[in-house]
Amino acid sequence: MKKLLLLTVIILFASCQEEGILTKEREKVVVNPATELKYYGSFRPTSGISVTGEAKIYLENGQYKVVLDNFSISSGPDLKVYLSKAETPTDFVNLGNLTSQTVYQVPTTVSVSDYSHVLIHCQQYNHLFAIAALTSN
Amino acid sequence: MKNILLVIAILLLANKMNAQGCSDAGICSINHGFQTDEKHHKNKLEFAAIYSLGEADVAYFSPYISYSKRFNDRFSFTSKITFSTATGSFGTRSQFGDAFLIGNYTFKEKSKKQWSVLTGFKFPFTASNLKINGYSLPLDYQSSLGTIDLFLGTNLNYKKWDFNAALQLPVINLNKNSYFKEYGGTDDFPSTNLFERKPDALVRATYSIKTPNKKFTFKPNVLLIYHLGEDSFENIFGQRESINGSDGLTINGNLISSYSVSKQSSLELSLATPFVVRDIRPDGLTRSFVLGLQYQYSF
Repeated sequence: MKKLLLLTVIILFASCQEEGILTKEREKVVVNPATELKYYGSFRPTSGISVTGEAKIYLENGQYKVVLDNFSISSGPDLKVYLSKAETPTDFVNLGNLTSQTVYQVPTTVSVSDYSHVLIHCQQYNHLFAIAALTSN
Repeated sequence: MKNILLVIAILLLANKMNAQGCSDAGICSINHGFQTDEKHHKNKLEFAAIYSLGEADVAYFSPYISYSKRFNDRFSFTSKITFSTATGSFGTRSQFGDAFLIGNYTFKEKSKKQWSVLTGFKFPFTASNLKINGYSLPLDYQSSLGTIDLFLGTNLNYKKWDFNAALQLPVINLNKNSYFKEYGGTDDFPSTNLFERKPDALVRATYSIKTPNKKFTFKPNVLLIYHLGEDSFENIFGQRESINGSDGLTINGNLISSYSVSKQSSLELSLATPFVVRDIRPDGLTRSFVLGLQYQYSF
């Protein structure tokens, strides 16, 4: 009886996750190679982090898109992609979670020319992982 | 009996309302800390399985385990651990929710009136930022609100009536939720990135009806919860934004039916649904119907 009770408790309290319609791996978005490159910059890491790759911003059909090119970074618990006005995350646009996607759409209300950096930032522990200073193409 | 049937009918009809209800993650079940029926045993274990329906297509299964220790006729202590599984369009996410530590003091009965007070804390097991496949989830899918909360409450027992009043105050915000409506793929849930929630105040009136053989007890009760202010979140520009309509009143109806299996154990079935709701429910406390089954064992 005790074992049965224990088993029931373990089953009831087992942690799990299962993807749904809104959390399925989405098809990778790509940018048309003919699209105009507007800004670019190489990532550099902060202390204790390793990063490679570039941030590129394209303008495709009136929509700005941030592309992480040949990108890899140390794993982190809650990494976000920021379009930032400085090399620290004080005035920024949060473009969403860093996932296997390499293309991040910039909201149309954002004036991209006002932003000078792309940052990779761990929001949960407020730790900056990588910085790419943007240069106009 | 007619009154009981009427209450059941109201509860079932009200389930069809698009309504905001109660999370069982805190203030809604705080009245258990006041319970003083059990006088013969020092210890009580409680196992519960709760099924509920929430916003959009979310359904919940939320078991919990509780242990109460009665030190004497005045002092008792209750601890509780909750767990939650949420299922819907975002998928299924299960995790431990919160740990509760509640102390209760019961005053001497005077003129058929008995007062008791309680205080305690709720500690979250998560920062309310559980994800699936790297996608952030709304608070409706989180097993905890991600706050350390202080409970302050009092209860008046008068004849067959119980009146509770309680406050649930978030004292430390550990919420690191990162859900944005803009990137969520649905309009069903509001943005709750770095969510900050306001306190809740609760008032509950319960009437107890025992059958002559004392095997069955029915406790219809009405629960009023006032959310004391508008919650807020940090928008995609890093600026804090209040969530209009997230404050205000919720009124829930609840019917508890318990069966005394023996002197040591009892079974309890509870049905709950909201009648009046807030305009918006960013905290995920959106139960439109709650069905709970509890087993209590005293020793």
